[in-house]
Parts: sequence; C-alpha cells; structure tokens
Amino acid sequence: MEALAGAVLGEATIRTGTDEDRRAVERRLVRDAQQGDVHAFERLYRDNERKVFALCLRMTCDAALAEELTQEVFVRAWRKLATFRGESAFSSWLYPMAVNLALTERRSRRRRDARIVATEDPARLEAAPPAPRPEQGFDLEKALGTLPPGARAVFVLHDVEGRTHEEIATLLSLAPGTSKAQLHRARRLLREVLEP
Amino acid sequence: MTCQELDARLDDWVDGLLPPREAAEVEAHLAGCAACREAERRLRRVVAHAGALPRAVTPPRDLWPGIQQRIAAPARWGWLSRWTSPLVLAAAAVGVLAVAAVVWQGRQPAGVQTAEIPAASPAPQPVSAEGGSLDPELEAAVRDYQAAANALFAALQQRQQSRAIAPSDLARVQANLLVIDKAIAEVRAALVRDPANPELNRMLVATHRKKVDVLRRVVRLSTAL
Repeated sequence: MEALAGAVLGEATIRTGTDEDRRAVERRLVRDAQQGDVHAFERLYRDNERKVFALCLRMTCDAALAEELTQEVFVRAWRKLATFRGESAFSSWLYPMAVNLALTERRSRRRRDARIVATEDPARLEAAPPAPRPEQGFDLEKALGTLPPGARAVFVLHDVEGRTHEEIATLLSLAPGTSKAQLHRARRLLREVLEP
Repeated sequence: MTCQELDARLDDWVDGLLPPREAAEVEAHLAGCAACREAERRLRRVVAHAGALPRAVTPPRDLWPGIQQRIAAPARWGWLSRWTSPLVLAAAAVGVLAVAAVVWQGRQPAGVQTAEIPAASPAPQPVSAEGGSLDPELEAAVRDYQAAANALFAALQQRQQSRAIAPSDLARVQANLLVIDKAIAEVRAALVRDPANPELNRMLVATHRKKVDVLRRVVRLSTAL
C-alpha cells in the first residue's frame, strides 16, 4: 500500500515538475513573442491551435468558419500580446477571446445571412436547421448544429469544456441563472433530436 | 414531487448539484416513475457523450501560414522610399523639435518680439480618427495622446498671446509639428493597410508619445523664460 502511495506520489511529483517546466517554457515563448519573435509565437500557436479550433468548431458548427476564427484568434492574440502579463496560462488568456469571437462572428454572420435570405425566401428564416436523421446514429457533434447559438454556447462550455455556470456567466456576460436555463434548453433539445 | 418538478431539477440532479433533501426527493420520484427514469437515462447519455468529446481537434489544414502572413507581413510602404518612411520622418520630426526646444532655451526672454504669427502660418492639424479604423484599444490610446497634444498646443498659443513666446519660435514649433503630424498620418495610413503589423502599432503610439513629450518640454521651457 505504501509502495503504491509512493508510486502515485512520485508520479504526481513528476507530473507537477513537468507542468512547471511547461509553464516555464511557455513563459519564455510568450516573452520572446512579446519581443516580436514570430517563431516563438508559432510554438505557442502549435501548442494551442487544436483546443481553440475545437472550441470554435463546436461554438459555430461550421468548419470553414472555425478555421477563420482560429486564425483570427491568434492574429488578435499577437496584436494584444503586450497586454498578457503571464499571470495565467496562455490558453486561459486565449479562451475568452475565442469564445467571444465565435459568438459575435456567428451572430453577425447570422444577421448577414438573414438579410440575404429575406430578399429571396422569407419562409426560410422560420425553418429550423435540419435534424440528424435516425439512421445517422447518436451524432452529438452534428446535433449541436440544431441548437440555437446561445444554448449551444452554454452547452459546449458546460458539458464539453467543463466550465461552471459562474465561469460561463462571466465569459458570456450572463447571469448564472440564465446560463442554467440555456443549458436546460440545450439538453432538452438534444435529447429530442438524438432520441426522438 | 410531480414529473414537471422533477424535470426542473433533472439537470442539477445529473450534475450532482442538488442538496441532499431534494436529491432524496428526486431519487424517490425516479424509483416510481418509468417516464422520468427514461428522461434521466436520455439526459445522462447526452451529458456522457458531450463529456467524452475530444477537447482538442486538429484543423483540416495548416492554419499557421495564413496567420503568419497576417502578423509577420513586412511593412508595405508602397511608394514611400527608404528615406521618407514614417519611422525616418517621425525620428526626424522629433529630432527637429528637440533641437528647436534646445535652441529656444538660449533665446532672450519673451516680450522682446511683439509681432503676431502671420495668419497664413500653418497650424498643426491634430491627426483625426478618420482615414480608416484601427484597433479600438489603439484608437483609444491615440485619442488620449491627441487630447494631451491639443491641450499642450492650446497652452502654447495662450503663451504666445500673452507674449511669453516669441512668435517666430511658435511658428518654428508649428512647422515642426506639421512634420511630425505628417509622420503620424503616414504611419496611420500604413496601419490601416496592415493592421496586424506590431511594429506599426508600436511606432504610432511612440510617435504620438514623442509629440506630447516634446510639446510638454516646449511648454515647460516657455513657462520658465
């Protein structure tokens, strides 16, 4: 038992050391990037691109838009890099930027699309996105696309990213109660879509 | 507990957020209600699938080249030659202003010359926020510098009216401010074309700061005379 505890403790120590090393490397990369070192910034990008892309993809349910947004997040990060003080992980600093960008871009795109559609076929504005067909199985990624953007954002942040309602409320400028209500709505809609 | 009441608590139940007493009530209701048990099963399935989704997804293509192109593009000066780049102009303008201030320091006290500045003298124009939009934070910083520069220039004009500054000195300052304003306008125009260029961002702020610094020094010197 003691040996097991020692092994676990040893592993934890190594993990902590590794995390510290990683943070130290990240701090150095941030410092270099703040001095204008593009290669250092590329390393930061490589370390974080997959998480940012995943978040953008699920917030928008549009792969092409998620690519654009991921690029935009890092371009903005580069421009605002001087304001990053290194008190948190670089990814924590990127996160709100990605969330807000995904939400605002999605919103403005929706408005643009609505204007275009309105001139052609007003009925389309009322139509909900097509639900996945039963034969497609339990495809949660696809089902996310059927959710209203606000409910989807809260669902992604809470159930996929593991954020609390308090964190979501801060990120999205909502009351925690609104976050809970949106989550309830999203889960109910997903249940209906995935297992009609 | 009714099925409707249970539905309102189901999320918190599944998330383990219900206080013990309410949790016991939900548990009791679920034990006797097949429909709600089915709703709970479906909800847990959704939540489990969501939690199992990968938190990192590789983009279908390498996005870095596009980012690099936007952040590391060399400054596109276009028609500007090496010798008239905004940086050189700004440095020259700041240098001229600094020299003017030093020369001024050695001049005789105010009141000796009484001629007004000719009406045709070019007045430095504050760089307006028009001519293309910049990053909001940068725009705010520029506005602050502009406000400070305008206030300092107004103070200089007041000193000229009260004969505390020789008109020829103020005219020289005005001429130099025109040069530095031109440099600011050039940097700004380049930034509108290439907003992600960090060098240009820094240069714009630095040029505004220098302008304010020099104006402040000139005002201080004129007050001391």
